Amino acid sequence: MSDVQRYLLTVGPDRGKALDIAQDTAKRLESQQTSLIEVVQSLGEFINDEDATIRARTIDYLSQVVGQLPPTFLSRQQIQVLCQFLCDRIEDGGAIGGLRKLQGLGRFNQEMAITTFRALLEHFQDLQLRPQAQRLQILELLNDLMSKHRNALKDLGDQSVVGITDLVSGEKDPRNLMIVFSVLKVVMVEWEISGHAETLFDSVFCYFPITFRPPPDDPYGITAQDLKSRLRDCIAASSYFAPYAFPQLIDKLDSTSPNVKKDVLQTISACARTYSISTLSSYSVTLWDSIKFEILNVQEEDLAEEALVSLQAIAIRLSQGTESTDLKTPIARFLRPITKECNGQLREPQHKQAKPVGQILSALGIASPVAFFLIVKAVIPPLNTLYQDADGIGKQRALLEVLVQLLDSAIAVYGTPSIPAPTSTIENPLVPFKDRLFELSSQALMSTAADEVSFRVVALKALLKLCLLRKYLQNNEIGMAVQYFDEIVLLEDPSGKDDLKKEAIQALVELSKIKPDLIMNITFPAFMAKLPYSSPANNQDYLITLEGLAQLSVERFVSDTLIRRLLNRLDAVLQNDGSSAYPQAILSTLHYVLSQRDLPQDPNLQSYHEKLVVGLINRVVLASIGQNPMTALNEDTTLEILGRIATMIIRALDEHKQKSVALQVYSLFAEEGTFIPVPFRKDTPRLQRSTMILSTSLMAGVGKSMALQYTDVDNGSIQRLLAELVRLALAESVPPIRRTILRQIGLITNKFLPAQETKDVFDYLRNLISGLQETTTLSDNAVRVVFWEAKGLVLRLAQIEEVLSRLLWLLSDHSCGVASARGFGLLLAPDEIISKENGANIRLLAKQKVFNICIPIIAKDFRNAETSIKPNYLIALSGILKYTPTEVIMQELDILLPLLLQSLDLEDSDVKAATIQSLSIISQESPKAVEGHMGSLVSRLLKAASDPKTNSTSVRHNALRCLRVFPGRVKDSTLLPYKNTVVRGLLGVLDDPKRGVRKEAVECRAAWINMDEPQSE
Amino acid sequence: MSEVLNANPTIRNASDLPSRRRQGNGQSSKTPSGLFATTVPSSAYIPDPFLPPSSDSDESSGDDDSVEPIDEQEIYDLISPISDPEHPLTLGSLSVVNLPDIHLTPTFPEKGSASPLTTLTVLITPTITHCSLATVIGLGVRVRLEQALPPRFRVDVRIKEGTHSTAEQVNRQLGDKERVAAALENGTLLGVLRKMLEGCENLET
Repeated sequence: MSDVQRYLLTVGPDRGKALDIAQDTAKRLESQQTSLIEVVQSLGEFINDEDATIRARTIDYLSQVVGQLPPTFLSRQQIQVLCQFLCDRIEDGGAIGGLRKLQGLGRFNQEMAITTFRALLEHFQDLQLRPQAQRLQILELLNDLMSKHRNALKDLGDQSVVGITDLVSGEKDPRNLMIVFSVLKVVMVEWEISGHAETLFDSVFCYFPITFRPPPDDPYGITAQDLKSRLRDCIAASSYFAPYAFPQLIDKLDSTSPNVKKDVLQTISACARTYSISTLSSYSVTLWDSIKFEILNVQEEDLAEEALVSLQAIAIRLSQGTESTDLKTPIARFLRPITKECNGQLREPQHKQAKPVGQILSALGIASPVAFFLIVKAVIPPLNTLYQDADGIGKQRALLEVLVQLLDSAIAVYGTPSIPAPTSTIENPLVPFKDRLFELSSQALMSTAADEVSFRVVALKALLKLCLLRKYLQNNEIGMAVQYFDEIVLLEDPSGKDDLKKEAIQALVELSKIKPDLIMNITFPAFMAKLPYSSPANNQDYLITLEGLAQLSVERFVSDTLIRRLLNRLDAVLQNDGSSAYPQAILSTLHYVLSQRDLPQDPNLQSYHEKLVVGLINRVVLASIGQNPMTALNEDTTLEILGRIATMIIRALDEHKQKSVALQVYSLFAEEGTFIPVPFRKDTPRLQRSTMILSTSLMAGVGKSMALQYTDVDNGSIQRLLAELVRLALAESVPPIRRTILRQIGLITNKFLPAQETKDVFDYLRNLISGLQETTTLSDNAVRVVFWEAKGLVLRLAQIEEVLSRLLWLLSDHSCGVASARGFGLLLAPDEIISKENGANIRLLAKQKVFNICIPIIAKDFRNAETSIKPNYLIALSGILKYTPTEVIMQELDILLPLLLQSLDLEDSDVKAATIQSLSIISQESPKAVEGHMGSLVSRLLKAASDPKTNSTSVRHNALRCLRVFPGRVKDSTLLPYKNTVVRGLLGVLDDPKRGVRKEAVECRAAWINMDEPQSE
Repeated sequence: MSEVLNANPTIRNASDLPSRRRQGNGQSSKTPSGLFATTVPSSAYIPDPFLPPSSDSDESSGDDDSVEPIDEQEIYDLISPISDPEHPLTLGSLSVVNLPDIHLTPTFPEKGSASPLTTLTVLITPTITHCSLATVIGLGVRVRLEQALPPRFRVDVRIKEGTHSTAEQVNRQLGDKERVAAALENGTLLGVLRKMLEGCENLET
């Protein structure tokens, strides 16, 4: 049996095996066991078979054999023969495949390409009657010829233009069209097509606009966008198309579909980018006349944007290669009607159609220096006149806004001092108007009634842009602007309207980047002079000044000066009595300024440490033992701010310095014999106990490997210090001091305790806990100690299961159950001292672990608990959920939901608010989970939203938020039975005493009212 | 809505519309400045979980007692984001609804109860005197207010005197409960109304 016979028998059932047979033949050809002639002859009896399938398979066999041969195996003559052979039988399936393989061979020449091409044209005039797959193959062959043998086809000239357009016309399949478009684009770009422009154009434009929508499973991976961009490339391929393209595109701009309009505009932009300048120029005004409608009568924002892009594309193209400001250039002729229209619209600057004028001018102004020049010359003088004659501030504001937009394009064209733009020989056309524009915006800003805030904001923007424009204002003029901005920040009436102040500070910040010296010399002294030397009564104006100073200190030498001056001012202020709010604000400013610096690299770090940490702490300590006068520094709140500064600076210190700080965490840099540290001491006065706040922050700042005071080799172990801190905490009754001692316990357990000692600390903790359960009168302080210590262990995942199970036992305790339940809210809460930044041991899995360990136990114990202590479990649950990531919560919904629903019946408003929060998240993330509970959810949430006497504002607020989540997420059929209940139930809430709650109720009610209405369109 | 009746109306700038913040009695400016608040980690504000909630002394509990009555500004905030059926612009920015044209009058002022019956009158100003959409706009305002206000309010929406050629006729239509109800049965009209009210919902979140 010959190979071809075997092939024909196998290819039906097993194509893979058949291909092996073809490969066999190829191998034998290669090793010269058989010859090409023999192979072709062997086809003889099948190639003329009546059955088209057999004929096709026979040719396919030959094609496969050719495909398996090495690229240089066949001689030119052999290829020639095969090519002719296949072309003769081109209509038989398989021939196209063979030709595709042949044409890829190096010896396939131009003549053969032409033969093949002609055979295609001749035999496939009925192409569109054939099935898609065959058409695709033919088009692919055409595409191959186009890319490999382009010159051969090109030499055919008109013949190939007409041939190809005829061949592909009527194609409808998106896969085939992708090829058709790319083949045609080559013809359009590379062939001489002047005689066939219309035919070619029509052959592609008939597909415009593309409305193809890929089938849902999208098997081909072709999107409408793919087709649109290929088609667009064709339409934009040649200037010859302009006479056909523009009129038809403009026509299609009247479409009612926004998608079509968008496509049209994008196509116009594409044409503008590629058509020749002279061609584009003859349509530019017509285009403007049609496109402007989309901008002036804006219906859809993004269409207007698109239209602006088109105008800009035209302007960019028309100004290419010209620096001439002559009025006869294409760009000038394009811009003339535009500036005329804009000037006309600006006569009524508050009308709707005047609004986009600024956008048009700005988009076109950015296009090129020439365009900007022409626009400014045409628009600025009338704008100035209109502004002068305007009969109201509203009008002036609208005109100023246009100016601001023009200045934006000026900056885009000419740059700022820090961002230079490409150079142009055209002088900035705004130069002749410099004095007028400066005067106009200065006056608008400074000589307008103070309550015209929005007008002045625009004026301020204009003035700022003038200052930012490169090579425009003189230094002294910018200096005046800076003074104006200063004045606004410092002098304006601070009653409520701080929009302008914010803008002014922002402007100064901008200017500080390009003109730091002006800020240093003008703004700084002015601001410092406004800071009082003693705490003002009942007046916080200094805050704005301090905020301004802080934001302006971007440059290092500016912030150095600021830090020095603020410290001096703080000194002075502390000497006078008065509210502590002012010195605290100064400290906060210092904190802010330092936090903006890269402290570890800061050359002044050492001096910050000495002045701010050691210096200020010294003052506190000396005052606490009566050697210095008491000041605002000694107040607990001030100490916390000072502590934050200290932590930040110490974190940046090198290891050596940190070591010495660590050894003074309790003696606080005091000289020996003056201040006696708080630990290991009895009956310490309150003022001195407050210094523990500072000890905590020093401890937070040093690295975890440092030996703390009292834990270094000579002085004892960490555990001894911990025990002492526990003693202090148990006895402490002043809340801020107690909290700081508790934090130290947590921090030491978590950060400084060596891993091998966690077991001992756990044992200690266990004893504390059993102590709690035995005695009935133990103070809340003991519960606090237990939970802070537990927090330290849990976060580092040390003995976590034992710790948590001990803590969970406490929930059933009658005396300390409630306090313990609340303690669970502490375990995972973020803490500013026990934090990653401070080197605490916070393991990623801690939250998930706590959740996974606690939830099953809580669920089980809750079921078996006495009624009176059941709430404890729910409170603990809410404390854990508050800080558990949503993904983790979602894993246990079945257990959680019943518990959460019961929590809603508790009276505790914190727990209720937190529960509703969790429920909202669950409903949002997994609406299916709550479907089954809709009835009880709706009635409980309505109850929580209603009664302002029992439910706090935040509970009511959250309940409404949660209720609003359901419509749209949960199936309508599930919600419908409750619709009336909710809509009626919320009627009362519409009269809630709180505005925020009412607002939420209105929204929630609207969502339920509209829920089952069909969505519009 | 095939033809736009007033293609080029005057527009007020959003920042110039009356808002509560602008009228403010400086309440918000008393809280510590925004910039330095960033120096305090948010965790510092988490209340001590051991303290029972009733005793927490922060401002929220103090706030809970004060009553914020429904005032004209609140009514304005409810209706000004409604969009015009002709333009993608709000009734507020087109000055169709204006704060001074909203009036709240207690029905029995002498009684002084906590939630008195109140009559609310809203006067709307069409952008042009022959605007045939005035009725639709009035209807939109009315529907919004009826959905958003508690039942003790009597809502009266009218065309402002001298701003419309057929004001009387429109007012009669808007005041007639049955005609309003009938209008709301009309599917097309309902579609237009829903589109107008869409803007109100998104603003809040």
